[in-house]
Amino acid sequence: MVLYDSATLGGSCSGSSSSSSSSKPPPLQQRQQTQQDIDGLLAGAGYRVRSSELRKVAQRLERLETAMVNSPADLSQLASDTIHYNPSDLASWVDSLLSEFTQPPTCPSEFIMDPETNQTVVSDAWTTAEPHMPQVHQNISYEQQSLNNQLTVDNQLTVVTAMEEDSGIRLVHMLMTCAECVQRGDFSLATSCLEDMQGLLTRVNTVCGIGKVAGHFIDALSRRIFQGIGGGSINGGSAYENEILYHHFYEACPYLKFAHFTANQAILEAFDGHDCVHVVDFNLMHGLQWPALIQALALRPGGPPLLRLTGIGPPSPDGRDSLREIGLRLAELARSVNVRFAFRGVAASRLEDVKPWMLQVNPKESVAVNSIMQLHRLLGSDLNRNSPIETVLSWIRSLNPKIMTVVEQEANHNQPGFLDRFTEALHYYSTMFDSLEACTVQPNKGLAEIYIQREIANVVSCEGSARVERHEPLSKWRTRLSGAGFRPLHLGSNAYKQASMLLTLFSAEGYSVEENDGCLTLGWHS
Amino acid sequence: MVVPLNTWVLISSFKLAYNLLRRPDGTFNRHLAEFLDRKVPANLNPVDGVFSFDVLIDRATGLLCRIYRPATAEEPEPNIVELEKPVVGDVVPVIIFFHGGSFAHSSANSAIYDTLCRRLVGICKAVVVSVNYRRAPENRYPCAYDDGWTAFKWVNSRSWLQSRKDSKVHIYLAGDSSGGNIAHHVAAQAVESGIDVLGNILLNPMFGGQERTESEKRLDGKYFVTLRDRDWYWRAFLPEGENRDHPACNPFGPNGRSLEGIKFPKSLVVVAGLDLIQDWQLAYVEGLRKAGKEVKLLYMEQATIGFYLLPNNNHFHTVMDEISEFVSSDC
Repeated sequence: MVLYDSATLGGSCSGSSSSSSSSKPPPLQQRQQTQQDIDGLLAGAGYRVRSSELRKVAQRLERLETAMVNSPADLSQLASDTIHYNPSDLASWVDSLLSEFTQPPTCPSEFIMDPETNQTVVSDAWTTAEPHMPQVHQNISYEQQSLNNQLTVDNQLTVVTAMEEDSGIRLVHMLMTCAECVQRGDFSLATSCLEDMQGLLTRVNTVCGIGKVAGHFIDALSRRIFQGIGGGSINGGSAYENEILYHHFYEACPYLKFAHFTANQAILEAFDGHDCVHVVDFNLMHGLQWPALIQALALRPGGPPLLRLTGIGPPSPDGRDSLREIGLRLAELARSVNVRFAFRGVAASRLEDVKPWMLQVNPKESVAVNSIMQLHRLLGSDLNRNSPIETVLSWIRSLNPKIMTVVEQEANHNQPGFLDRFTEALHYYSTMFDSLEACTVQPNKGLAEIYIQREIANVVSCEGSARVERHEPLSKWRTRLSGAGFRPLHLGSNAYKQASMLLTLFSAEGYSVEENDGCLTLGWHS
Repeated sequence: MVVPLNTWVLISSFKLAYNLLRRPDGTFNRHLAEFLDRKVPANLNPVDGVFSFDVLIDRATGLLCRIYRPATAEEPEPNIVELEKPVVGDVVPVIIFFHGGSFAHSSANSAIYDTLCRRLVGICKAVVVSVNYRRAPENRYPCAYDDGWTAFKWVNSRSWLQSRKDSKVHIYLAGDSSGGNIAHHVAAQAVESGIDVLGNILLNPMFGGQERTESEKRLDGKYFVTLRDRDWYWRAFLPEGENRDHPACNPFGPNGRSLEGIKFPKSLVVVAGLDLIQDWQLAYVEGLRKAGKEVKLLYMEQATIGFYLLPNNNHFHTVMDEISEFVSSDC
């Protein structure tokens, strides 16, 4: 079982496409109506079925049963090779399984539907099923798709630690009190809270658990109270420093590896059959995601496409062209596996400064837009103009990408109220730290921790444009992306299985993958 | 004999999925199982007056439990510190719940079981601890029982679960299908260790035996369940080479042990009249009676397996009322 805690990184796959150039979200009324028709009891069991469709689904289930009884060979294939998608959508799932069978069922069924009441009548007598051809149900179209592969950290306000230490509990109490003072503007009380907490910290184990994360929160509160909310040195870390920290975070725990892996799977599938492909990476860093994709493309049946990679990243202050350096290394790798490759770097300090023409997208090529923890940075609103997120999503959409993969922390760290944000962050990051502990010891786990610590500091001690770590939950991203004209594509049981198997390679204790409405989430119990 | 349409759809989908997961060679497609299982996270925000959180109680085996508590008027929204606040009340029942799934399927965070446990909190005014025991075939007997026992000891030693009246934890064991089987065995172990269990609640408990009983022959394949799949699950759970007269499967069978003279708790046993293994469940009840143990049998003639998963039938409400009374009579 996976009981995921507030620090889970979810890999979700949702994206959308529409063939028309102006795509509008479905009218609200229509959506509500559809919602009302959903069978409430089945919803509680995790299945979304319209009441009006129940009978149809039941009939299909019967047919499937007979088909399976008739051809056991097909059954075993169904069991092993078939890729399953989005089991919550029961009707589609059953239909997709039915479409695997080519023979119409001829065996009688045990249950017949009573047309009068909405009940199945259990019958001992054999009856002949109506002859029919199984419906072929294509729910994935390969034209004009944008896939949003989202890794989200699931923050469901579940706390796992059963705290034995009184000091630990006291520390949490005090953190909450201090945060509340800050929210109220009572800085003198907050300051004395801080002093008490710093004292208490000396008596608590700060190597792990609550003590460790509390220390970081105390620092962040202290920063907020004494240095103000402008961010300063947190956001001022050099690009070079950030890359190092990011790399260590990548190595120390499975979240980013899982993110890259799942995104690459989706991109690979989307590029199937295309000869000219272009990946736009919103945050190149050390390009860690791309060697695996290059190698996978090299091995694909029919041969690799021409791959263009456009990497966006901050400008290097010291005259180095770090983007180009990464590009060169990737080019070398591509050459070694015979993949025709071209790289282009786009230097921009902020994503909203990037204009689509800079990406030089060719209309003939198939585009994948890949954003790893970048979109949430656009959620701070600029009072003067359109919110940056809308602008950026709109130009992404205008590129007509084949697929869009998005990685985000699933957490609710963008609430307006400080105390709410603080509480959520406390839950989330304490589990994040615990999950880091559970990983095989890396020599420089400390640097990975600093990476996380910087996030904490930003969430807690910054406001306005300085606060860039504006994580929002999956549900909000779903709405936002579908509002921007994207359609979700589901990650199926094959991606799930591979991701699960990959996890075992990371020797990470307690991590597991779950399926959630077409999305995959990576969770960690604590 | 009718089954509500949505229940039929639910149980049939399970049946369909399960058919895909059990391989003829005795292995289990765990990845697909976890992919298909609908799960829900724990929720500190009370929903219908109940909040939940997960606890790791044994790091060595990764044993997790999900704890369900009623939200109180004073603390409508618990935070990180409130989770293990002492229960309030002279007598607070604590129900240790073992989910079903024939030892192979489901988890404590499966949606259907999360829903059921939440209901139990309301119905019994209890704290419910749902145990995420290790499953077959990867983990055979006695892993599930060991995990049950670990959870039992953990619950029994939580000071915050003690009732004010006697500073003891008032424990009930409950479970459906394989969970019912586990509840029985954990109860037996508890009384052997001198710890009181106030009652056992077994919903369609999973028992069996080598012999083919009349109900098995009559109902084979008729109501979602086949003898073949029952056999598969026993083969997956029991130690290799053992047959279904192993005492785990058949506690009052040829290799079983009478409970005579042992302070076994009172039991509420619910049997569905359309469940093919009912003869074994009735034999279990008979075994308890013969040993002089207090047992109440609820035989729901028209019920199929899983009737207690959705509140859309009379059997459901009857059983919930009986459970409520069973637990409250402790006061």
